[in-house]
Amino acid sequence: MSKLEILLLSQVDETLCNGDRICENVCPTGAIKVTEKKARVDENRCLACMKCLDACPENAVTLVLRSEPLEVGIDPSTVDQERLRELCAKANLDPEESICLCNGILAKEVAAAVLEGAETPEDVALMTGVRAGCAMWCTTPVLRVLKANAVEVVLPKGYRMYDIEPTVWDIPEEVAEKYPEYFLQEDAELSRKGTLETFASVVVGRRKQ
Amino acid sequence: MINQAIRPPELVPSVYARELLPRVAVSPRFVSLNVRELFSDIPERIYWQGGDLSLVRKATENALANVSMEKIQPDDTVNILCCEHSFIIMEGEPYAEIIRTTRDVVKERTGCENIRLRIGVGVGFHEAEELVEHYRFDEYFDGKTSGVVPLDKGIPIETEIGTLYGVAKAYDADKIIHVHYDDPREVYLHRYIDRGLKPFGMGYARFETRSVFHANFGNRSGNFIPRAIFNSPFVQEKYAFSCIQMSSPAGITGVEADNDARLLNRRLILSALRSYGKVLRLINAIDECIVILDGGKWPWYIHAGGITSGNLFKAPMDFLDLRVGSSENEIGSAFNPAIKAVVVNNAWKQAFWDIELRAPTIMVGKHEPPFFGVKQIVTAEDLEAAIDFAVRISETDKIIVFDGSFGHINLSPSMAEFMLKKAPEIAREVDEELLPMWLKQRGIDPETIPETM
Repeated sequence: MSKLEILLLSQVDETLCNGDRICENVCPTGAIKVTEKKARVDENRCLACMKCLDACPENAVTLVLRSEPLEVGIDPSTVDQERLRELCAKANLDPEESICLCNGILAKEVAAAVLEGAETPEDVALMTGVRAGCAMWCTTPVLRVLKANAVEVVLPKGYRMYDIEPTVWDIPEEVAEKYPEYFLQEDAELSRKGTLETFASVVVGRRKQ
Repeated sequence: MINQAIRPPELVPSVYARELLPRVAVSPRFVSLNVRELFSDIPERIYWQGGDLSLVRKATENALANVSMEKIQPDDTVNILCCEHSFIIMEGEPYAEIIRTTRDVVKERTGCENIRLRIGVGVGFHEAEELVEHYRFDEYFDGKTSGVVPLDKGIPIETEIGTLYGVAKAYDADKIIHVHYDDPREVYLHRYIDRGLKPFGMGYARFETRSVFHANFGNRSGNFIPRAIFNSPFVQEKYAFSCIQMSSPAGITGVEADNDARLLNRRLILSALRSYGKVLRLINAIDECIVILDGGKWPWYIHAGGITSGNLFKAPMDFLDLRVGSSENEIGSAFNPAIKAVVVNNAWKQAFWDIELRAPTIMVGKHEPPFFGVKQIVTAEDLEAAIDFAVRISETDKIIVFDGSFGHINLSPSMAEFMLKKAPEIAREVDEELLPMWLKQRGIDPETIPETM
């Protein structure tokens, strides 16, 4: 189980904020919102991922130390293990698979969050810490786990996240046969239904917890 | 063959960088190995840091002379698409010159005036701004420059496998020109399957698309994502031609350009496997080491002998061998057990991509924490103290310095001796076994691919 201690917090200088909502569109947890033309931060949702700070063209966002760290993380052993395995398998994930490389968060943690009631990508981010790093690996596995649990994913207005579907397991046979150089069928079999026992995992071993 | 350590390229200033520290190569602990003395068939360079950029301009002009520009009309808007990662190669000067030359040639041959620059970046919103300022691109492009950030507003692209998302700013022109590069950065991800097209699924793409590449496909099959996007009617309507900076571990070797991106990709792969294969295998053969990071980029992307640090951080396997398959997540979370400690001198600080969770990590100077992992990093007062500590806890004095170097590797004497001993066997293995296999796996017959280099 990965427990993240969030030591920092985004803070908005309202004299610089122009209310352009860019920060809203890049925040993985919905922690920052514009009300009355000024961005405001919900301290209980801010993972200090710095995306708002980085994206703000007015440099209106800074990071400050929290008075008390915000602890983020979920213990996957607290949920029904059979349901957890089933959910991961349905999403074509190995429960032990690391899906957020920045923060070392495993598929089973995301699955546990969904089984514990997460209904949006923002909920999952807040419960586990995924998407607080680069978001370029973990985004689609989160969507897959939510959908595997029959959650109708409702995304916020704007461009915070687009729903996206393609997976290697859904490639039409004629497309796979047309492009053999990409090993589409072979790779689909390697990681189907949550069983990853591949050359790489044998040679390298799984990450230490 | 063992020489004095060589001063690496200068660091381009950045808000993402740590406070600048003295470079590691000035320490008397280190020596260097010339990559062409390790492997004599590494192609010679036309440009090395601080060299004559007119040679790069000439090579670009020659390459573009064979390209059709009929698709570009005088009243078109044209986006030159490029990626930030190549700007780390020898201070980015050769890549910037290729971009400038491409703009000049297009303007001269087509009469088109409205040529803009779009820089795809990995993470940060300020990366492109910094590059525009440093290379004075705003003057060259009349202020028509912009970053392409994975969190920027997207645009749907219909492909053979469904809807994927590009970054809208990359495609906000009538025509696009793809200016790319060939080094083996992240070979564990692109596998030299479609290196030439990768930015269409990564550098020019929204983060959801990048996640599809990484997590919804396997390590080999993910490379279909850029191809699917490139093949889409949306992109094909805009695409004019590609221009590629070619390199070897020695430095910049030339420029290639073509309207046929697929053919160009095959020439790129052939050249890269020949140029980089041996040094990649040598880096992967390291049995134990301390890594020192001393460059101006994210910790995974700093070169030594033309090879990025990520290629050592990942597993010691041969990622050029396409029989090796896995999920991308599995590859992504792999960490080379040969790395016993990491010393961070100069590097970008925003995200350490969990290196500090995998190996003892010592930061030189004051603590400049990333968001997480703060507790896993220790600090040392200066570089020498950091190295002493790293040697003590790792029980090895084999050290490799990733400092942006091409042409040579700065390293400790014991690592130099290790590499010198390993190189002949690696050269034989690559020449006789691996290179023929790598090429065959990619369906590349050197005899049938026109080489213009």
